[in-house]
Amino acid sequence: MPIEVLLVEDSPGDVRLTQEAFRDANQSIHLHVASDGVEAMAFLRREGIHVRAPRPDLILLDLNLPKMDGRAVLVHIKENADLKTIPTVILTTSEAEADIVKSYQLQANCYLTKPVQLDAFESLVKSINDFWLTKVKLPQQRQNA
Amino acid sequence: MKTKSLMNHKLQVAIGSAVLALVVVGAVSYRSLVESNESDLWVRHTDQVLEKLQDLLAAMQTVESNARGYLLTGDESFLEVYRAGIAKTEKDQIILCNLTADNAGQQRRLDALATLAAQKFQVEGEVLGLRRTNGLQAATDAIQKGSGKQIMDDLQGLVAQMQDEELRLLALREADAKRSLTQAKTVLALGTILGLLITTVAGLSVQRDNSEGKDSGAKYRGLLEAAPDAMVVVDQGGKIILLNVRTEKQFGYSRDELVGRKVKNIIPEGFAERLIADGTRSAAEALAQQIGTGIELVARRKDGSEFPIEIMLSPLESAEGTLVTAAIRDISVRKEAEKHLARMEGRYRGLLEAAPDAMVVVNPGGEIVLLNVQAEKQFGYRRDELVGQKVKNIIPEGFAERLIADALRTTADALAQQIGTGIELTGRRKNGSDFPIEIMLSPLESADGILVTAAIRDISIRKEAEKHLARMEGRYRGLLEAAPDAMVVVNSDGEIVLLNVQAEKQFGYSRDELVGQKVKNIIPEGFAERLVADALRSAEDALAQQIGTGIELTARRKNGTDFPIELMLSPLESPDGILVTAAIRDITTRKKAEANLLDKVEELNRSNEELGQFAYIASHDLQEPLRMVASYTQLLSRRYKGRLDADADEFIAFAVDGANRMQRLIQDLLTYSRVGTKGQDLLAASSEGSLRQALINLRGAIEASGALVTHDSLPAVMADEMQLVQLFQNLVGNAIKYQSAGIPKVHISAARDSAKKWMFSVKDNGLGIDPQYFEKIFGMFQRLHKREEFAGTGIGLAICKKIVERHGGSILVESQPGHGSTFRFALAESEKK
Repeated sequence: MPIEVLLVEDSPGDVRLTQEAFRDANQSIHLHVASDGVEAMAFLRREGIHVRAPRPDLILLDLNLPKMDGRAVLVHIKENADLKTIPTVILTTSEAEADIVKSYQLQANCYLTKPVQLDAFESLVKSINDFWLTKVKLPQQRQNA
Repeated sequence: MKTKSLMNHKLQVAIGSAVLALVVVGAVSYRSLVESNESDLWVRHTDQVLEKLQDLLAAMQTVESNARGYLLTGDESFLEVYRAGIAKTEKDQIILCNLTADNAGQQRRLDALATLAAQKFQVEGEVLGLRRTNGLQAATDAIQKGSGKQIMDDLQGLVAQMQDEELRLLALREADAKRSLTQAKTVLALGTILGLLITTVAGLSVQRDNSEGKDSGAKYRGLLEAAPDAMVVVDQGGKIILLNVRTEKQFGYSRDELVGRKVKNIIPEGFAERLIADGTRSAAEALAQQIGTGIELVARRKDGSEFPIEIMLSPLESAEGTLVTAAIRDISVRKEAEKHLARMEGRYRGLLEAAPDAMVVVNPGGEIVLLNVQAEKQFGYRRDELVGQKVKNIIPEGFAERLIADALRTTADALAQQIGTGIELTGRRKNGSDFPIEIMLSPLESADGILVTAAIRDISIRKEAEKHLARMEGRYRGLLEAAPDAMVVVNSDGEIVLLNVQAEKQFGYSRDELVGQKVKNIIPEGFAERLVADALRSAEDALAQQIGTGIELTARRKNGTDFPIELMLSPLESPDGILVTAAIRDITTRKKAEANLLDKVEELNRSNEELGQFAYIASHDLQEPLRMVASYTQLLSRRYKGRLDADADEFIAFAVDGANRMQRLIQDLLTYSRVGTKGQDLLAASSEGSLRQALINLRGAIEASGALVTHDSLPAVMADEMQLVQLFQNLVGNAIKYQSAGIPKVHISAARDSAKKWMFSVKDNGLGIDPQYFEKIFGMFQRLHKREEFAGTGIGLAICKKIVERHGGSILVESQPGHGSTFRFALAESEKK
């Protein structure tokens, strides 16, 4: 059974890095990408072209996104009775205390800073996999259409 | 009106005199009668005597003739008669003797007569004897020879004398009798006249009295009616004889309802009893005991209600006897007043005792009448030792004089001048010590005249405080003048009371131009308002809120220019209330400097912010593309190493290296900038704890190099803990890194630099530093070695320097190439011990 992960990230470079890192970490991860907040919500709500989108097991959310930024996406996710059960991990370059506090206030499941170094980044992705997708018990998915 | 007793007295006198006169008359008449009787008796007596004398003579003659008869006849019968005649003469003599017993003269004559008679009889006897014996001739011769005739002549002479004497006496007595009769007549006449006169006078007087009495009676009634009090006239039996209209009103009866009734009806008890004579005393005495005194009783009105009265009794003589006039005064009001007074007195006494001050009540004579327990305590006397004593004993001067009435004013006036004002005097305790007092006088009306109540307060402390205050005031004024700042003292109304020369200079006024003026004139806003009492809080509260804080306001000079000032307020207790001392400092320069500073700070903040932004940009926005470059070149390197040619490998290697370095540089730059922008406040921190953290962070490096890091016990300092960790980390990290070979040894110690600073030392046994580089090494990105020799961007010491400077210190190095280095920096001691 593939693991669905939604990556909300606007930098294509970061996207590719993350993809590469996840591929190294866990072969059975399907990494979906939304490059802004609006697309992310459309995906989650299975609107438009994302009608047949799967429900993600994990959401990796960058904060600084065009259109709707990560914080707004987080709010939407956590207000939605259905979506809020999906673990949402903030994955951003910002180390700002304000961002950290805000994210947790908005009920992000955890906050991770993208390390500068490549190996560190790869290690982080591996950790995400080890923790969120291996050790952590995720709620059973409802059957979707 | 003449009282009955007076009239009686008069009558008595009159009657007495009349009686006396009568008595006198009677006595005199009696005497006259007696005398006249006596005279009669005497006349008879004299007649008797004369008669007897005649008898005696006759008897003698008989004797003579009988003698002769015998002589002549010799008839014995003559002798018998002769002897009978002698016996008779003897009898007659005896009778005469008795009759004239009271008259010595007559008695002498009688004696003489008796003698003569005896002689004669003797002679005659002899003669007779002779006749008998010798016959006639002899006898006749004897007679002729004899003294018989002489004797007879003498006898007759004597008798004649006696007769004359008797007649003389008789004449005398008759004259006496006449005189006494005349006397009697006169006395009788006079007496009668006198008696009549007296009786007439008395009678007239009595009559006049009576008629006068009748007049007074009328006057009496008039007075009675008009009397302000109820007047009731009561007889001895307690019946009401007379009353006036006020009585009717007071008791609610009409006149006829009361006249003739017992006075008990209106005065149930106490009146009638007092009047009635009892076994022990007469009505007059009973009455006499009551006269003049006011007797308090209870009276009863017609409607049965009772009310207190005072009766004044006086006797009234009348034809019916002694009556009693009673003046009846309704004393309900007075009784009420008395009760009230008693209550007030009671209350007054209570107040007096409870008063916190010593209270002393003094009479116009200057003697203490009353005092309370406080007075006992204050003066150290017992109550009985002071009551009745002159107040001079406890207040030697100033009190008694003020009270004593003198020719100029009465006691009341003297007192009136003192009432209300507190007078400062000196009091003297029992032990003789003096102490200052303040007395407050107030008058007290009493039954005994105007008394003075004095509240006496021991003002020793106050006096001391006043002296102290005066001293302080003097000192204060001195301080005020000498103060470097302008000092202005303001009262609670906002007026300037005092100022010093600095104030004059600062505001450009002269002293008199400011004293008494409103402080608003020099400080238009912000000062007066802070002081003024308003409905919400008193001046003191208003002031208390301002005390101590420097208040910035605007002041105005005389020339109208404004300048900024700082006020420091402090309260000043004065007899006139709380004043405010304001130290006024011209802060123009300071304000300018502050403004300057603010500008500078703003600039700094701005530049800091720019820097911060820059740093952020550097960190975030630069990082992003840099991460791409670095990451992808690394990926390239990883994935295509060996798959491209050697040049490609080398090129990629340089690219990766460059990117990595760039990343590190940027990181370091960020770290450096964050020292300032992200610095925390300096708090109490354990430098030892920070070192330990740093060593934990350096764990890897320490283990890898086998370094020996030691330290002394390190103190608590004021520091940003995170930065302190950074500081130690960089220094120790450097010490471990810059080694040639062998075991790196690092020792950290701290020594007290001055009172509040600790000098830390990080000593290593590393490479050492050439002195010419001592400054350079603290520069940004300054390195003394090639990259290949030692890693690092050269920011470490710059960061250390910035951190230390941020902590208020400076960092320096002592070193010699090849002999290790010692880095020193100072940190402030933690305020918490």
